[in-house]
This record gives sequence, C-alpha cells and structure tokens, in this order.
Amino acid sequence: MSTQSFDLIVIGAGPGGYVGAIRAAQLGLKVALVEKFPHLGGTCLNVGCIPTKSLLESAKTWDKLQHINDLGFEAGTPKFSWNKIMARKDKIVDDQRKGLRFLMKKNKIETFEGHARIAGKGKVSVTLADGKTTTLETRNILIATGSRVRQLPFAKSNGKGIMSSDDILFITEVPKTLAIIGGGVVGIEFASLFGRFGTQVTVIEAMPQILPSEDEETVKELSRCIKKQNVTIETNAKITSIEDKGKAGVVLTTTEGPRTFEKVLVSIGREPVTDDIGLSTIGLNTERGFIKVDLATYKTNVDGIYAIGDVIPTPMLAHTASAEAMHAAEVIGGKKPHKVHYEANPSAIYTYPEIASIGMTEKHLKEKGIDYKIGKAPFSPMAKAKIEDATDGFVKIIFEPKYREILGVHIVHARATEMIAEFSLGKILETTVDEIAHTIHPHPTLSEAIMEAAHAALGAAIHM
Amino acid sequence: MSSPDTDPVTEVILPSMGEGIAEATLVKWLKKTGDTVSKDEPLLEVSTDKVDTEIPSPATGTLLKTVALAGATVEINATIAWIGPQGADIPASLTKVTGASASKKIGQNRSTSTSNSDAHSQNLGRSNQSGFFHEGSTTTRSSPLVRKMASDLGIDLRRVQGNGLAGRITKDDLLTWQNNPTAHVDATPSVAPLLARLPTATKSGIESLEGVIVRREKMTKMRRLIAEHMVESTRVSPHVTTTFEIDLHQVVAMREKHKQAFAAREGFNLTFTPILIHAAVEAIKKFPIVNVSVDGDDILWKDSINIGCAVALGDEAGGGLLVPVIKSAETKSLVEICRALQDLAARARSKKLKPDEVMGGTFSVTNPGGWGSITSIPIINQPQVAMLGIGAIVKRPVVIVQEKKEQIIIRPMMMASLTFDHRVIDGEGGAKWLAEFKRVLENWTVEPLS
Repeated sequence: MSTQSFDLIVIGAGPGGYVGAIRAAQLGLKVALVEKFPHLGGTCLNVGCIPTKSLLESAKTWDKLQHINDLGFEAGTPKFSWNKIMARKDKIVDDQRKGLRFLMKKNKIETFEGHARIAGKGKVSVTLADGKTTTLETRNILIATGSRVRQLPFAKSNGKGIMSSDDILFITEVPKTLAIIGGGVVGIEFASLFGRFGTQVTVIEAMPQILPSEDEETVKELSRCIKKQNVTIETNAKITSIEDKGKAGVVLTTTEGPRTFEKVLVSIGREPVTDDIGLSTIGLNTERGFIKVDLATYKTNVDGIYAIGDVIPTPMLAHTASAEAMHAAEVIGGKKPHKVHYEANPSAIYTYPEIASIGMTEKHLKEKGIDYKIGKAPFSPMAKAKIEDATDGFVKIIFEPKYREILGVHIVHARATEMIAEFSLGKILETTVDEIAHTIHPHPTLSEAIMEAAHAALGAAIHM
Repeated sequence: MSSPDTDPVTEVILPSMGEGIAEATLVKWLKKTGDTVSKDEPLLEVSTDKVDTEIPSPATGTLLKTVALAGATVEINATIAWIGPQGADIPASLTKVTGASASKKIGQNRSTSTSNSDAHSQNLGRSNQSGFFHEGSTTTRSSPLVRKMASDLGIDLRRVQGNGLAGRITKDDLLTWQNNPTAHVDATPSVAPLLARLPTATKSGIESLEGVIVRREKMTKMRRLIAEHMVESTRVSPHVTTTFEIDLHQVVAMREKHKQAFAAREGFNLTFTPILIHAAVEAIKKFPIVNVSVDGDDILWKDSINIGCAVALGDEAGGGLLVPVIKSAETKSLVEICRALQDLAARARSKKLKPDEVMGGTFSVTNPGGWGSITSIPIINQPQVAMLGIGAIVKRPVVIVQEKKEQIIIRPMMMASLTFDHRVIDGEGGAKWLAEFKRVLENWTVEPLS
C-alpha cells in the first residue's frame, strides 16, 4: 500500500473525533479518521448516551403504561418484551451509525478501521482489522481516543455476573436483583432503568452523596423519587469482596455483611485511553493517563499534535468533546475560534426525574466563599406539569446578589434536560436573573418554572 | 419583600395626552425625590409635539423615586415615578419588569452617563441598560451583566476591548480593563481606537512601514492623552476657522509706555498674550456664544469666562503642553490677568499645577507667534466650542486711509484665527466675534495699572 498523506488524522471516531473531522473537512483540510472498533460513534453512540437513553425512554413509557388506567385509558394489563426493547435500541444505534458513514462520505473524510499509533513526527501507523499495517503521513494529529470503563482491580467484569456498563447494555433478561457499585451518573441511570422494569436495585456508593458533582438539593429530590422505583441507596459504603458464583449469583460483601445479587454492575468511572497509541515514542506528556493540553488551542506539548475529549482532564461529556473538537479543528484550519466556555457546559442525567445543571453548586460556592442567593420554583403548582403528569421537581437558580449574575442552575424534573439549554445560552451571553425574568416564556409550558424561579430570585414570584 | 398587590406604593404612569401622541418629553420635575406631594398637585411638566402640559400627582405621599430624568423622552403608559409612604420600598419586580422599560434618554453623552452612575445603579432593570444600548450600540457589543457592571462602576464600554463572541465585551474583559486600563489599551487597541494602527511589517526583527525601516517608541502618557483629545475633538466638533488681520500699533504703544515700570514693579515682563486675553474676554462678553458647551441638542451657557491658555512645557519638562485656566477672567483687571498667566505658566512648566487649575476652561487661546508662526488654526479644546490662535506680530507696510487720503504706513500687524464649532456658531458668529476682538485691540485704551 502506498503511503497516503493528510492535513489531519483524527484518532478515534466518537462525538469528539468525528465532529472534529467534519469541521476540519469543512475548512478544506484533507482528513483521515481512524477507529479501532468496527463502528463509528465511539462510546456515546455504541455503548453510552444513545443506547442508554433509548432504554431509559422505554422505562419511562413502561412506567406510564403501568398506571395508564389512571389517565383514562382501558388498556388491560400491559406487558413488555425485553428483546423488543433491546432491538429498538439496537436499531436506533444502527441508524445513527449509518448516518455517520454517510456524513464521512459527504465530507470526503477517509475512514480507516484499525488501531492507530503515532509512529513519529507526522506519522501514524494503523494496524488494520485484517492484521496488516499501513503508515499514514500527516501535518497534524488530533487525539480523540476517548475513555473506557474503569475496572475494580479485585473484581474485573466478566460479562456474566460482574458487568460493566458496556456489558449490561446487551443483557438478555431483566435481572431480579442488581447491585450497582458506584452512584455516579452511569450507575444511577442504570438504577433508574432496571428499577422501573422491576429489578430490586441496590446502589453502593463510597461517598456521602450519590452524584457527588450535582447540587445536594436536586440529588435529594431525585433520591426521594428514585426510592419509589425499587432502588435502595447506600452511601459511605465500603466493599470488601465480590465473588461470582455462577448460577448461584454474585456474593458481594460490604461492611453490612455478605449479600447475594443476580448481577453486579461496576460503574466506578471511566479512564482515558492513552496507553497504546504511541505517545511515548514522541515524548507526549500525560498525567494519570490524561493528556495535558493548552485549553485555548488544545495543543499538546508536541508540535502538530492536538487532543480533545475524554483523554484530556475536562468533563467527560460527549457535548464537551464535540465543542473541543470543533475548536481544535478550527485552530488547525488556521481560524481563531472563541474559546470553549466551560462555565456554560451543561450536565444532563436521564433518570426519572431527570437532573440538568450548569455552573456552580451551593457546596462549591460555600467552599470558595462566594456570596450567593437563590431563586427557586417547584413544578407542582404548574398546570403543564399536572397535564404531563410530572409534578416532581423544581428549578433552582443560584445567583450573585449585586449584579444578579447567574452562578448555577439546577433543574430536577422529568424533562429537565430539555430545559437547561436556555441557561447554556444565558451563561455564554452573561445574562442576569433580570433578563430571564423579563423573557416571555410560552404558556402553558414547563419552561414557565424557569421564569418563575427568576421572579422568585427577584422576590416577586407570581404563582407561589 | 411585600407582594405587588398589597404594596401601598403608587406608580406614576405617563397618561395619554390625546390621539396620535405616543411619547412625551419630560421638561421639568416640579417635585424632587423625597418631597411630599398631594393628590392632583402638579408633579412635572411634559412636552409633546402637540401639547405642553403639567402632569398631576395620582396620589398623596412622598415622591420615592423618579425613573426618567428631565429631557428624557418617554412612551405613554410608561412608569415614570413612584409615590408612597416615606421610606417605603419599591417592589423590585415593579422597577425591573414594569419600570421604565420604555424610557430612554435623549442626547445622552458619555460624561452624563458616567456621572449619573449612582442614579443608574439605583435604577434597577432595563432603564439604565437602555442608556447604554442607546449610546454604545453603534460601537460596542456587551452582555447584560457587563452593562450593569459598567454602569455601576462608571466605565465607558467604548474603551474596553471585547474578546467574546463577535467582539462582545465579557465580564472578564471588563474586569481586566478595570484592573489595568492603561496597559490594556496599550496592548490592544479598543474596538473603535482613537489612535489608528498602521500596517507595519516585521522581518528578522526589523520593522518597516511601506518599505522604510522604522524605530518604534511608545508615546508618553501625556503625548497619548493629547493625541486622543485631539482626535476626539475633531470627531466631536465640526471645525471652522476664520482669520482677521489686526493692527496692534495702539497696543504696542501702550506696552512701550509701560514696559519698564511694569517689569520693575511686577518682576516680570509685560507680554502681549495677557493683553490679547483681556481683549478676548471683552469680545466674549459681547458674543458669549463662543463661551458655551454643547450637550446633545442642548446648549450649556456658562456663568463665567475661564480662559485656557496653551503652555508648551519645553524639552526640560518632557515636552507636551498643558492648558492652565485663568478662572473668572471677566472679573480681572489687565494686571491681574498678567499675574495669573505668569504664575500659571511658570507652575505648568515646573509641573506644580493643581488639578482644578487645568479644568473648567470655557474658551482657549494659543499663541505660537513667539516662534514666528504668522497664523495658526487651532483644534478646539473639548468641551469648549472655540479657540483663538494668535500669529506673530510683524511690522508690515499697510495702507491707511486718513481724511480720505490713502498712505502706506509701517504698522505692527497680527493675524488672529478663531476656530469654532459649527454645531452652534455659524460663519457670521465667528466673524462678528473676531471683528469685536479686532475693534477692541485697534482702539486699545486699557493700561496695566496695579
């Protein structure tokens, strides 16, 4: 195979890599995209955001079906088919993969299926699926290799009794009992998913609070709701041993003593994939596996090599990776893009109710000694919330008292994730509480709670 | 905070004044904030394109707060004030959401917006922002937060470099500028820089402009301020200059007569500049339009004549110039003007002027005649509207007509140029002032007696 040369080689085809590749191609660069898995889309599309949200949507529908008679329907006793729910998820994922193939073609991005390793300055060697190796030349490299699930050293997932989030997405039956080790976003989403399909779920979290980066108050509200979904939460918990006994289940021992679960999900976080991509051959610095970059350009310490997404120490979120990738591609393409606005980086948790947030929590503000005030509005008095049969939750706006700058927003509600973008824009435009209160929100919608929280912040709530 | 329903505070709303009237200009508040007012007592005067009228108070109580200043144009049905018990709180929601969203200030300029910053910061919500939108919308993009902060801190956003999306000024930009305004302006020109940049090229460390090698040197702070003031003045005022030739033989004769005694008595020489200033003051008394300032579409008439006199500081003082001000020159005798100028010029060169001695000028004079210049066309010293430029006094043969007989005589002649602001002074006004200045000098009678 003759040596091909490119302006940019992107390593990793997740929501960081493929977005960066498209942006660079739009800017007229000749781009190659290398992915070691057979499908484009990375963790997000294949074993992350998309399949989990598909299943969570099914859980939501199932939940509604179970009390559908209360809503005025006479539907008999509803049933579900786990196989069909999984097939729906697989189809959504497959459709999106096809969409990505089309986008690569449309943007004339050459894709390689294989394991890329940086072989020297401007050189990437790719071990292809058939075992052959090809070397590509390039002026720039964008590392977007993402992350993988972190394993417990004493209980590696085996895809049977002890599972990672990658494995559990392909589970063939709903387990009767499930222990989830780690009460982070992934763990809590699976708890909410399986709990609603009837699994007795026990979440075991080492910290004093599940979802430790979220605001205490929203987590409290979620915890209250999730307990009604067959989920038990144990915080400050310590695991001493895990033993997969095959058909007899998995014996999990904590300070509470030994207990047997049908399945155990280990969701203790993710770690960057940087160990086998040739970083040492070019002297690229890492710290605890993460690649250090300049956040204004995403340049690494090696000329011509950039890194974005889960491999750099910024929030491990798909939309963050995409934003960073577009920025890096524009830098490579000779543009001077505006820096990624991390303060306006939203987070979204697809439990029921959902949590969506942006900016600082009360705890952060207290730790930093920053003065703040709160405007809060519950969904319970709102007509639209009653119409949608979703009255749990509230909007909480934390703001600076003098100029009323928005410091943090925390929404807990069945549709919180669809509402937070107002504040992403608001934060970027440095909107204050006044403008939110002054913005006409359509009636009747759930978004009125946002306006109401802003009015509450100004001491003049209308509906409370 | 009490709810709007139960609050005893009454909003004063600009009432409808007839068909087709959408807005009114607030001419004058008849009550001040804190005054007590009875129901139906006149509260303010307004003017529309159809009627002028007084607006009565809708309630009895204390005038708690007014939103719109006199001169503002306000839409009908907008809230313009609140009346209630003394010390009552105005509900925050009212001031923010309803309050003054329709008000905008007309003719507002930079100095009023910053000097009103206190009023602005109390004035919650959109009213202060609209002021900033109004003046800054053509040159700056910013954020609601930044506009609030700038209003509160008295910062002119046009001077702040915006590094946000599409050049938007962000909170960080504002704080950076606030911490180090000068350095920031030096480092990066503002959005609409007063001092334009040149497209120089640097190759191997050698800088050139259009192929000519250049050496770059930073202006001193004073040089930069002068440069900015000059560019700003030409931007603000349409400059027009008119020149007269003046026969100074009477003045010269008077000076010759008193020169020695004056020097012996006062300890410094009797020079022409204070004599010319004295004559200028006489002309200003007759045509005070050269002694005003222009504020939007208002003319500000001044109750004193304060003459700024440009003083070159010379190389020893680091170059540049200052314009110390002879205050209330209309009350001073010729000798008092001589003494004041002698003192101010000496202290300007030794950098011992007090800040208020370079402020408050209402008219300025520059006299580069001493270096041989025969005419000079000044740039107006803002916010004044006129400046007199004096040329050298040169002996010339002139044609004099006496008793219908023409003869050529040698006379000490001087060119005097008045640069004036065409916004308020037309050619006729400038010429009339100079004609009066000339008449005073050519018929000189004043003597420098102590």
